[in-house]
Amino acid sequence: MVIDFSSYYDLPRSLDNFFEEFWKPSLLSQRRVSYPPVNISEDDDNLIVMSEIPGMDSGDIELTLNEKSLIIKGTKKSEVGNYYRQERPTGNFQRIVNLNIPVRSEAVQASMKDGVLTVILPKSKESRHVTIAIDAQ
Amino acid sequence: MTQELEKKSAPALLRFRPNTDVLEREDGFYIFVDMPGVSKDNLSIDLRENELEVCGKAVYPRMDKAKALHVEFGDGEYVRTFTISDGVDRDGIRATMNKGLLELYLPKAARFSPRRIEIQPG
Repeated sequence: MVIDFSSYYDLPRSLDNFFEEFWKPSLLSQRRVSYPPVNISEDDDNLIVMSEIPGMDSGDIELTLNEKSLIIKGTKKSEVGNYYRQERPTGNFQRIVNLNIPVRSEAVQASMKDGVLTVILPKSKESRHVTIAIDAQ
Repeated sequence: MTQELEKKSAPALLRFRPNTDVLEREDGFYIFVDMPGVSKDNLSIDLRENELEVCGKAVYPRMDKAKALHVEFGDGEYVRTFTISDGVDRDGIRATMNKGLLELYLPKAARFSPRRIEIQPG
């Protein structure tokens, strides 16, 4: 038998977990309520969207880009067997990422490594920062 | 200032209990552990007596120029310990790491695997 007793019997450790969970929200801007978790960042030229979707083939993930949002969609299959413990999410998931600025949809790149999806969305020219020189009169 | 803080916090990664499935099939036990961002090189699996400990580090490359707008996950250390009984053939334990998913296969020891009993003619 393989039994993970930790969460049932190991009280000190579960207390630790409780405190860990308690402190986590202060570090992350949103708790893991939606699946999959998404990070969004930007640099001068690109919007970068990253998402943790472990154990998925890149072909099973559907990425849709429309005018205002990026949609990450897919289905996680469950394994066949007699379950003793099931914590990994299964079934359909969808996450919609709102894009507040126009992107060049033809130049979007997506890649997957170690279960982490990275989508790079180049900003369109209009949405880049432009420094305006002030003429002295 | 921020650089100093980063240096201090760098060695202590946030610890997570990764989501895990444990299931049994006819040929043995299977454990699936979600470890996104962990490559094969950042993973360690140790078997000490009855304890099987898996530990993986996910460290994302620093993007110096980029500014974070929304953060839901980050660098972390996934640690999980499993208790294994005598019913497992320890030498036969196999692990594969693929697309951020760790799969452990623990075959049943020969004496615990299902066996058909022949009926002797009386």
